[in-house]
Amino acid sequence: MDGRSGLVLLCAISGCAWALLGLAVLGGRLRARRRHLTPEVVGGDTEWRVPEEVLDKIGLGDAAANEEETRQILGRSLRSDDPAVRMASITALGRLAGRFEWAIDGLVEVLVRDADEAVKVATELDRLAPRPGPRLPPLLGHPSSTVRFYAVRLLAGYEPLAARHVPAMIEDRSANVRAAALESLRDVASGETLRCALRLLDDPSPVVRAQAVRTATAVAPLPAASFVVPLLVDRSWWVRNAAREGLVAAGRDVADVLAPALESDDPALRAGAALVMQDIGLVDDLVADVDPGQLERILDAGGGRLRRAASERARHGLHLAPDRPHVEPA
Amino acid sequence: MTLESGLRVGVLTCVVYLLLVYGMYIALMVLGHVESRRRRRERRLDNPDVLVGSRFAPGVSVIVPAYCESEGLPAAVRSLLDLEYPVFEVIVVNDGSTDDTVPRLVADIGLVASDVSSRSVVETAPIDGYYRSPTDPRLLVVDKRNGGKADALNAGLNHCRYRYVCAVDADMVFARGALTRAMREIVRDPARVVGLTSYFENARDPAKALPDGVAFAEPDTRPLFAFQTFDYLRAFFNNRMGWARLNFMLCAAGAFQIWRRDLVEELGGWSREYTCEDIEFTFRAHRFLRERGRDYRIACLPDCIGVTEGPDSVVKLVSQRERWQRVILETCWANRRMWFNPRYGTVGALGLPYYLLSEIVAPLFEVLAVVTLLTGAATGLIQWWEFAALTLAITFANSALTTGALLMHDFERRTHRLSGVVRLLALMPLEMIVYRPVMAWARIKGTWRFTRGDKAWHKFERNVRTDAA
Repeated sequence: MDGRSGLVLLCAISGCAWALLGLAVLGGRLRARRRHLTPEVVGGDTEWRVPEEVLDKIGLGDAAANEEETRQILGRSLRSDDPAVRMASITALGRLAGRFEWAIDGLVEVLVRDADEAVKVATELDRLAPRPGPRLPPLLGHPSSTVRFYAVRLLAGYEPLAARHVPAMIEDRSANVRAAALESLRDVASGETLRCALRLLDDPSPVVRAQAVRTATAVAPLPAASFVVPLLVDRSWWVRNAAREGLVAAGRDVADVLAPALESDDPALRAGAALVMQDIGLVDDLVADVDPGQLERILDAGGGRLRRAASERARHGLHLAPDRPHVEPA
Repeated sequence: MTLESGLRVGVLTCVVYLLLVYGMYIALMVLGHVESRRRRRERRLDNPDVLVGSRFAPGVSVIVPAYCESEGLPAAVRSLLDLEYPVFEVIVVNDGSTDDTVPRLVADIGLVASDVSSRSVVETAPIDGYYRSPTDPRLLVVDKRNGGKADALNAGLNHCRYRYVCAVDADMVFARGALTRAMREIVRDPARVVGLTSYFENARDPAKALPDGVAFAEPDTRPLFAFQTFDYLRAFFNNRMGWARLNFMLCAAGAFQIWRRDLVEELGGWSREYTCEDIEFTFRAHRFLRERGRDYRIACLPDCIGVTEGPDSVVKLVSQRERWQRVILETCWANRRMWFNPRYGTVGALGLPYYLLSEIVAPLFEVLAVVTLLTGAATGLIQWWEFAALTLAITFANSALTTGALLMHDFERRTHRLSGVVRLLALMPLEMIVYRPVMAWARIKGTWRFTRGDKAWHKFERNVRTDAA
């Protein structure tokens, strides 16, 4: 073939490719129109006609028509080497779990067997509450901390079960499980919650200490406050931040508990307390106070940035905590 | 060597180069289709609402670095706060803007000055102050001195509280489901997926292109915007989907990149030594993870997560694209030990050679092609019809690649009306004649500036919003 023919051929091939792809675009549009599917629906998130896709992918027929066969094929596909097939099978199980108890058992089995897919399985099981509930407590003794973690977190959706089984998990050897136990106890807020949270405030793991602070201040803001204040100078920023957020959530009443911290010799504790006082709106309220002593103590403790922010708010008559009564700047 | 033989060698070299590059593009497009099809099927299996209502949804810290973005920033922040995702925060970092970025944002969103505590994972330029919303605790504005985009991202990183970091551009307006779609992909394989990027569209005014965060307006078919749309379509649907398939994502786009925070911290944040941060960070992540033998993926979603602002003049466009060319050169040069190095797997064996051919040496061949073909045609050594046929073949091939990407986009989400798609198809052949020479000029300019060691951002003026005018 000479150069000329080559050029013509190249032109023809590329031209045909463009034309064919263009026709494919237009054809797809027209087909969608014929099927009365609006552009927004086709392929969008609002559309998830799952069963056909799942069943196609895992080579399954009508699940309802042949339950036993469905179960067997899913059992095989859950052990596939292809992560996409395993993931599809988990989703299929999640959908079938609406009708079949064995599908819930299948999900629990995957949770126990495969740590890589645990979050996906847990998400499905969470959605199916309360039916998976009785299957969860036995998982709390599983050797894998991943399984124990998800079991503890899932139990947050079952108040009586969580109140009975979760408090013991604060003794778990895994920090993640201990933190998860506190988080679940916070969600169900049982009588044991505060005791468990206060006990773990000096846990060696910062993840657990931070969660203990969040849990304690969530269930009993004021009673927990005096225990939480010392953690404003924890060695971990995450714990310090959780302590600040927890104290702020306790509201204006926490100011009295914090006041001694402003007199502390530790500048970090003073600064932490000042930040909390700023966030609960105390600084803005004190701007109008006739006795500027307390305000000055807070601003001194907070440092230059806190002082500048306070004066900028005062200048514009703004308040950081809008639900508090607005005080005109002095 | 006579002029004739020189020209023949030149033409032959260009033809071989074109065949090689287009062969590569076609292979990537096919891979992109395979990957896109797989993702589409996987995604249809999932119920998006499961993640939205789940206690297992991982938290995301969205960082918005902003420098002189007073025009578009309030709309971008509002669209971020409207995201439908259970656990996230938005950290806007004003990088020493010289305009009214902060006052305007403060007034528009209703923010108040405040002080906050932060970690110091990465050293950054000093912070002057903070602003917070009294009604929405998810929003924090960090007002710092100028230090560049990477420095602003690092300042944001110091304030992040969640497991994933999502760095976005301040001119983007997001679809409400953007974060859910992205995180759904990550939750499918959280152990391996360390990073993610996604397709987004471009428009003159993003807030008008996606007014309610749900329905996209018709594409802007004015040629300059249509040509940029073609660029984005190919860059995401053909290239990034193909790169993701072979696990050598070369650039998690700066306008929307999600990374696992622990990885960003291990890498010491974003580097301030480069013109742009996104390509360099992606390469550094590859190098770091491959050198430690970790199993990982950087994914790309074939899903439109929002709209970014496209330059509305050729001058602005050239300024943007020459910067992109510079950062590719800077990154490839800095990572030259990865080139063809089997230790770095597909990144070294395929990714870097891809950039070498399609981006680094492209300006040389573009100049060579123009000089040899025009000289050949003018001196009669090449027939004019041969010149026209070659140009036509390239034009068709380029249009075919763009249409392939448009087809994938259409499979994904038919956001545009048929009439808009027809207009886009009709404009495709013009791209090669009108737009590509401008891009070639931008690349030559970028290459020249790279050789001069220029690392300035050369930020172009933001488009003037018609409402503000």
